[in-house]
Amino acid sequence: MRARLSWAHAGPNGEESKCEPCNGRENMKRSRIQYSVRGRRLTRLLLAPALAVVVLLQGCTDLEESPTSVITPENFFRTEQEVLGSLASVYGRLRETQWGYYNLSSITADEQIVPTRGSDWFDNGRWLEIHRQTWTPTSTSALDDMNGTWNVLFEGIARANVLLAALEDLTVPDQATIVAELRTLRAFYYFMLMDLFGGVPIVDNTELIARPKNTRAEVFQFIDTELNAARADLPASWPADQNGRMTQGAADVILADMYLNAAVFQTDAPSATSYNSCTTVQIGTQTACEAAIAVADRVLNSGQYSLASEGNWRSNFEADNSSSLENILVVKNTNEAGANLGLNLVMRVLHYEQFNPTPWNGFAALAETYNAFDADDERREIFLQGPQTNFDTGDPVCERPGCAQGGTPLSFTVDIIDETQAGEAEGTRIVKFSPDPNHTAEHNGNDFVYFRLADIWMIKAEAELEQGVGDPLGILNTLRARVFEPDEPLTSVDRDVILQERLFEFTGEAKRRRDLIRHGKFTDPWSFKPQTEAFRVLMPIPQPQLDANPELTQNPGY
Amino acid sequence: MTARKVILAILAGLFFTGPLAAQFQTGSITGRVVDGMTSEVIAGAVVTLEGTRRGTTTGPDGTFTLTDVPAGPQFVTARLIGYGPQTQEVTVTAGISTTVEFALPRQAVVMDELVVTGYGAQRRAAIAGSIGTVNADEANVGVTTNANDLIQGRIAGVQITQNHGEPGAGQQIRIRGGTSISASNDPLYVIDGIPVPNVATESSAFNAFGDPGLSRSPLNTLNPGDIESITVLKDAAAAAIYGTQGANGVILIETKQGQAGSTTFEYDGYVSVSQPSRKLDLLTGDEYRQYVQEQVTAGNLLPASLAALGTANTDWEGEITRSAITHNHNVAFSGGTASTQYRASLNYMSQEGVALSSGLERFQGRLNATHFAWDDRLQLRLNMSASHVDNDYLPFEDTGGFDGGLFQNMVQFNPTQPVMVTDPTTSVVSFYELGGGALAVRNPVAMAEQIADVSGTTRVLGNVRAQVDIVPNVLSGQLIVGVDRSESTRREYYPANSPVGAEWNGLARQVSRELTTTTLQGLITYSERFGDEHEFSAVGGYEFADFNEDSFGAETRDFLTDAFSFDNLSAGAAAQVPFSNVVDSRLIGFFSRVSYGYRDRYFINAVVRRDGSSKFGADNKWSTFPAVAVSWRMSEENFMIDGPFSELKLRAGWGKQGNEAVPAYASLLLLAPGGDNYPFGDTKTVGVAPTRASNPALKWEETTQWNVGIDYGLSDNRISGSFDYYIKNTTDLLLSVAVPQPAVQAERLENIGKVRNKGLEATLDALVANRANMTWRAGIVFAAEKNEVVDLGGRTFITSGFVSGQGQSGQTSQRILPGFALGTFYGLEYVGISSSGQQEFNDYDVDGNLVGTTTSPGADDFVVIGDANPDFTLGFRSQMTWGSFDASFIARWEQGRDVFNNTALVHASKSNVKQGKNILRSGLDETDESIDEPAIYSSRWIEDGSFLRLQNITIGYTFELPGLLTGGRNNTARVYAAADNLLMLTGYTGYDPEAHSDAGLGSRGIDYLSYPRARSFTAGLRLSF
Repeated sequence: MRARLSWAHAGPNGEESKCEPCNGRENMKRSRIQYSVRGRRLTRLLLAPALAVVVLLQGCTDLEESPTSVITPENFFRTEQEVLGSLASVYGRLRETQWGYYNLSSITADEQIVPTRGSDWFDNGRWLEIHRQTWTPTSTSALDDMNGTWNVLFEGIARANVLLAALEDLTVPDQATIVAELRTLRAFYYFMLMDLFGGVPIVDNTELIARPKNTRAEVFQFIDTELNAARADLPASWPADQNGRMTQGAADVILADMYLNAAVFQTDAPSATSYNSCTTVQIGTQTACEAAIAVADRVLNSGQYSLASEGNWRSNFEADNSSSLENILVVKNTNEAGANLGLNLVMRVLHYEQFNPTPWNGFAALAETYNAFDADDERREIFLQGPQTNFDTGDPVCERPGCAQGGTPLSFTVDIIDETQAGEAEGTRIVKFSPDPNHTAEHNGNDFVYFRLADIWMIKAEAELEQGVGDPLGILNTLRARVFEPDEPLTSVDRDVILQERLFEFTGEAKRRRDLIRHGKFTDPWSFKPQTEAFRVLMPIPQPQLDANPELTQNPGY
Repeated sequence: MTARKVILAILAGLFFTGPLAAQFQTGSITGRVVDGMTSEVIAGAVVTLEGTRRGTTTGPDGTFTLTDVPAGPQFVTARLIGYGPQTQEVTVTAGISTTVEFALPRQAVVMDELVVTGYGAQRRAAIAGSIGTVNADEANVGVTTNANDLIQGRIAGVQITQNHGEPGAGQQIRIRGGTSISASNDPLYVIDGIPVPNVATESSAFNAFGDPGLSRSPLNTLNPGDIESITVLKDAAAAAIYGTQGANGVILIETKQGQAGSTTFEYDGYVSVSQPSRKLDLLTGDEYRQYVQEQVTAGNLLPASLAALGTANTDWEGEITRSAITHNHNVAFSGGTASTQYRASLNYMSQEGVALSSGLERFQGRLNATHFAWDDRLQLRLNMSASHVDNDYLPFEDTGGFDGGLFQNMVQFNPTQPVMVTDPTTSVVSFYELGGGALAVRNPVAMAEQIADVSGTTRVLGNVRAQVDIVPNVLSGQLIVGVDRSESTRREYYPANSPVGAEWNGLARQVSRELTTTTLQGLITYSERFGDEHEFSAVGGYEFADFNEDSFGAETRDFLTDAFSFDNLSAGAAAQVPFSNVVDSRLIGFFSRVSYGYRDRYFINAVVRRDGSSKFGADNKWSTFPAVAVSWRMSEENFMIDGPFSELKLRAGWGKQGNEAVPAYASLLLLAPGGDNYPFGDTKTVGVAPTRASNPALKWEETTQWNVGIDYGLSDNRISGSFDYYIKNTTDLLLSVAVPQPAVQAERLENIGKVRNKGLEATLDALVANRANMTWRAGIVFAAEKNEVVDLGGRTFITSGFVSGQGQSGQTSQRILPGFALGTFYGLEYVGISSSGQQEFNDYDVDGNLVGTTTSPGADDFVVIGDANPDFTLGFRSQMTWGSFDASFIARWEQGRDVFNNTALVHASKSNVKQGKNILRSGLDETDESIDEPAIYSSRWIEDGSFLRLQNITIGYTFELPGLLTGGRNNTARVYAAADNLLMLTGYTGYDPEAHSDAGLGSRGIDYLSYPRARSFTAGLRLSF
């Protein structure tokens, strides 16, 4: 007996039933059998200990986890609703791009700046670092904004891969469409990654391992292949209650934009100082410019889209822009109460007193951007300048501590004197996506527009100019005609005119960085930013990502 | 004898022992216990009959009586804390009373006492691991809210930092430093043999002000007055028997048990008054007005700023804080017969916080009972406590958001404005407010008074054990069933007519949380002496524990009236989606400890535990934790007998411990609805998104610890103590790290990296003076520890410790860096203010060379700027008895620790005045700084947080109760006066250098608007008769 004093416990018959390794279910069965064949005399005496042992064994067998208030893939993906819910979460990452990708595409360029206002918006120099292009792989903006954007985009890809894998063993209605949507979404996330970071790992499965980068050209090729394969199964349009899901037009605009930027996207070191022309890249038998024109024509001829009419240009960006016939690829937002799924761009720009809940009074347009706009151009209305009112009440507002306390009336200035010590009213504000009168808290119903028909026209114009075909001037003047009263047509067109016209048309639509890079002007000096190094056209891979995936290599220059 | 026969024998015994008892012939033993030094009688000494559970305590005249003692030779032992025990052989004759007298020697540390060591007890002399003990009665001085308060400063290597000064605030407890980065660093608590989970019993607050505050200590439900002793297991040799739960050390708490003999009754109560011990130095109304005037004159502020000035002089800090009353009452009675002993106690405690509208109230009852049956071979014991704790929380935060909690508003509210205003037309008196909106500064007094945030927690902790002596004094078996159940509801209401609640037009919320832990333990204990030389003991056991956590919450907004507060959720027009959550996990362990002692000189102790936890990956649910320790009592050797040492023991041990403190389901890929919704059309579609990436290889952190130590005693153990040196290597750290993308979540828990702790601990206990009418005991505990992150699995660093405040989004104050300690501050090196009024920092180039100074720092300029860990900690304590008087104090010193004064970073910045906010006076000291300059995190805000704190000082007077109750009873009374936190010497400028306001990964030493710590004066009375 003494020798047996170990961590095995005695079974009902004094036999050791070792509970280790934990094969208790079998043990339990065995104990029950032996228990029943023993004499009844022992029954009463052994009842309590036997019960105890059963309890012990029961515990022993059961280290499996079966959570009930969360779900695992094993008990999910059975119905169409579950698949659609999962699909929604893949779309869901698009909403996050309205922060990181938007900010990195706008503040890095000559479009917007986030000046430090007192102690507000310093955030350890993160915003000025983005504007000055002084980031490094370990700097604040890399650890926060770039790392966050990298994660958001790749999470979208990973979620698409999880659902695509699940769909291989499932049959749900509209399966082919859902697969095509997922492939299109995944391609779009790759498009944004390629745009910001260059070459990244291409992954189409759910395995979680370290992988080396593919080249930027390979990512380009992957997106091209995927979108072309997916578009056949995508619908041309969706009914209103499914508005915002991927369409053939959405796949096409991504392709068209990518072809226009092909000379940039083919290399990690595009020219930082001269124009990167799509004529230098071959897509099959065509130049990338020709491919862009062909895709643009496909969209124009699809019959699905039309430009907003004269005087209605801003309707593309308002709260009810779901009905816009011009918008092609959008991020859906809604002011639905309790949904918390609205656009919050106005929070970044409006003064504290202009909206409820209190906005953050941060982002401002650069003076040169504001000044570039013609006073007669309807498109200048996207800026708030001069005396300001509250968007909810219409009342005039004052700088803090507020009108009631004797504060100065709020009037946004064009110029920012010192970006490190700006006042509350300094800088004009971009409210292209104007405040939603029916917003719930900070949630506005405006869909954020990534691509619309004007893009397709401008892509076509720029590609035609490069290719020396068509009527790019005519396209530009068509677009201008609807925003000028009376018309102010252009008389000639060149690359700079195109770039300038894109500024007027697309300011505040997260395109400026990409445009400047293509035009070889991204490293040029502008307000509060000196000339920067050529390698700045690519973002650094944030250090945490290099740490997590040792197979990655840092982008050149960093 | 086969095992089967043994069991049959036991079971047979169970049914036939009752009548047997009557067959024995019995006599009785009477006697007296006196002080070996003075020959004065000792009251309250415990006298036990060896080999049985029977015993009694001596009365005021030092006498005792044991009746129904079986005839024949018996061993009787008398013991009392502070004295060496004595055992005498008494030959009992049937029907006769035999007399015996004990003269106990005074000792600082008694080597023969039994020390609870986890699944059993061992003689102190035989212990080979590193442990520390606290005599709870001695430590229970001043205002002690929970068990941790009794440990602070009394055990080397145990560092306890209260998060802040709120009553019942949570604590950061580190035994031999933290070993884990992302898993818990809290020790395992074992109360009366049952491991008790140390998780928050209340749900966290509504997230109205940034992150909710850190939770209160779950140990608040245990009455310190019921605690008999606390043992801390520090090294692997001692703690490995707790396997996966042992890596952070183990705190064993034993509650008081009754003794046979006449019924004793005790009352112990105190009343104390507390006030904030320090104040933040804020500008007064006059100073603020003057500064605004100057700045307007200088053209830095608009003239409109003058219009915003009021005429009042409000000390907001004074308005928020108060003199708070705490009173505590314990009533206990105990007694019993030879076969049944009990102790029952009741506790009521009401503790007001030194800030308005905060406090803690506790009701607790406990019943501990023991019954012996079957000729003392069966012991049945019940330990049961039920408590109810009412918490009144403040709407304050530890980490900031924009809006700010109570203390943030206290600091920044315009001091020229009054607390209350009277409407000139309606004569209605109301709180003065600056205006609505999320960013507005709010009247902090109004916040405290208007916002309701309370919780009530009921916790029942009970265990029942049956112990059978299979072979008396040799082999026993024990079965323990324990249940720990807590139910709490947190209730909050933000009134519509308060500026905070106006945002939602009133918000009411109730969240209930139920925690249930069931534990089953089976133990077999064997111990036997073979001859005079061999001593052998073994414990084998099994433990099963199931942890269940269940929560449910509902919230509604938009109230027509504030009259309902949180009591009628249906009165809110806008119901939020209710939420619920269930988490379940299980732990199974098989363990054994074998001890062998040879000639009371050489000891070896071996432990092995095999643990399985449900929380880990499918491939790694089970693991084994071994430990072995040896000790050599040199003082027992012939060559040492004449030396100076009355005790000299060398110890060495090695072992493995685990840390499984990660959330349940951490290894699974989980999907959750609502994780990422998306509107199709303009209607929300609930998105089902993965919330966690799977990791089937997930397992526990493993700590391997080496310990060498010396226990020494001089002059018959009047001076005694120990030295310990340890190296603790923790590998397979449970770390939430970035994973290679694409991944469904950016991070997942992995086992990577390595942390090393090395340390030296020393203790000294001395009976400094030992005269007839005076004794003086003193003790010192010293610890120096070095923590180092050795490896992060290839990661360059992990950021931690978010900086709070406007303009600090995403900014972190600390980095976890290989080669540095956890709690390393990382930022810019502050040089001074430049001629243009900007903060200047050291400028480093890419290679790390200092190239000058800069006002616009870049990534290269960030360096290590501080370490939150102390170089050493020292605790002093002294206890003196002089006739009827007694006096004691305990002081703590921590040297060489840095604190990040986040409060100063945010609120010493002059630019706050531009927004109409008050600032700390230190903001004006930097006279050259521009009013436009933002606060930049740098070494400027890292302060030396070394301190010397007089934690408690107590003076007492003990006297006989004159003729109140007679009849051989022990009628004594003690009155005492105590002061807690009377004095603190520190260079730190914030409220208190001991603060912990960030729950981030491995972060330490961050102080942001912590609740001020109290200084308390207590008057107490203890009666026993």
